[in-house]
Amino acid sequence: MGMALSQSAASATPDPTEQFRPFLKKVTDILVDPQLKTIPKNEQGRKIISVVREHFDFREMSKRVLGQQWRELNAQEQGEFEDLFTQLLQYAYIGKIDDYSGQEVEFTLQRIKGERAEVQTLLVDKGKTIPVSYIMLLRGEQWMAYDVVIEGVSLVRNYMEQFKEILTKEGYTGLVEQIKEKISQIEKEQKKS
Amino acid sequence: MNLNNLYRLSLRLMVALALVFVVFANASGTEDFLNDESYDDKAVGVKASDPLEPFNRAMFTFNDKVYVWVLDPVATGYSKVLPADIRQCVGNFFYNFGEPIRSVNFLLQGRFRDSGLTLSRFAINSIAGVFGLADPAADEFKIPRKKATFGQTLSVWGVGDGFYLVVPLLGSSTLRDFSGKMVETLATSSYYPWNDEAGTSVAVFSGQVVNDTSLRLGVYEDIKSMSFDPYVAFRNAYFQSRDKATDNVLVPNPNYDVNH
Repeated sequence: MGMALSQSAASATPDPTEQFRPFLKKVTDILVDPQLKTIPKNEQGRKIISVVREHFDFREMSKRVLGQQWRELNAQEQGEFEDLFTQLLQYAYIGKIDDYSGQEVEFTLQRIKGERAEVQTLLVDKGKTIPVSYIMLLRGEQWMAYDVVIEGVSLVRNYMEQFKEILTKEGYTGLVEQIKEKISQIEKEQKKS
Repeated sequence: MNLNNLYRLSLRLMVALALVFVVFANASGTEDFLNDESYDDKAVGVKASDPLEPFNRAMFTFNDKVYVWVLDPVATGYSKVLPADIRQCVGNFFYNFGEPIRSVNFLLQGRFRDSGLTLSRFAINSIAGVFGLADPAADEFKIPRKKATFGQTLSVWGVGDGFYLVVPLLGSSTLRDFSGKMVETLATSSYYPWNDEAGTSVAVFSGQVVNDTSLRLGVYEDIKSMSFDPYVAFRNAYFQSRDKATDNVLVPNPNYDVNH
């Protein structure tokens, strides 16, 4: 407690939890909004991503998920990959929209280390709690998340290992093709349901 | 020789056999997500070697079929019959039974405080929580659940993972963790009230698996549908969540109202 006080007094670092509490509230408010269900699936995803962008840095996420490969891409390719990866996440989570039914988010702990921070939360769902952590980076005055850790599993690092295998076997063009294929596959499944 | 003795003997043999093959190596350090090194290309990858990949992939496919064709439909049916809070109680009950083993493991790892706390969790939940059906230790006394396995203990003692192993029906493991699990199974079977007959033990174990699955329906399919190579995705998730569970346990932040 004493440490936390002296820390906030010593620097003007914005508080990550104070930024994420209203932000997550905004996201969940949109998810429970009955209006959302009236627009097409594709639009729903785009609408949510546009709000999520306020505190999620998809470029940083794309950079980390590619690792070494990112540095070998030119600016245009980097931009294309960022769009593609964001689209993948949009499609992957679009299916989750229907599952969300007002589960509570509890903020449990935060850690700040220079310009990095971790905000730990618990998603309370039918008597079961799922620990969800946001790993973020300070950009100006805004804390921007670049990784989500669910039950101890980092999304970025999980994709990173899978991408690494594809990169070794099929190279970068192979990876791009596979991501495109995955997106259209998820798209088809969603049309069916 | 009755069935139970045979079952125990075979367990002992498997443990002995597994331990013979266990490779000694330094236990890997824990990750900190706030350090960039934990995102390095070199850091992200196979933690333990996977020389049995073809076998493991076959087992992964087998387990996947068992899940999709047997476990999932059974657990779905079960979840329709019993409401979520009752299933949660059943889950608590099984978890509580494992507490003495966890406490012993903490003791063997030299974590005396955690050992004591885990034992008090067992006492509180067995008495105030009606045989562990509820978790007043966490809800009222604010003593959170902490995981300790014999695989972890072996890791503290310097035993390396050996290699990654997908065990039929049990899923992701490593040689070390699987050996640890065998030892734990032997140890718990000595004080479980249903240890008198192998058939009963199997039934109880199946019940536990169905109940656990019913509490996380859809999670498996979600991860699978979002993956490019589910085998790699689950291998990675296994190592990540295991490393995280070792020490990073949530402590409520005094600066924030948890109920907010």
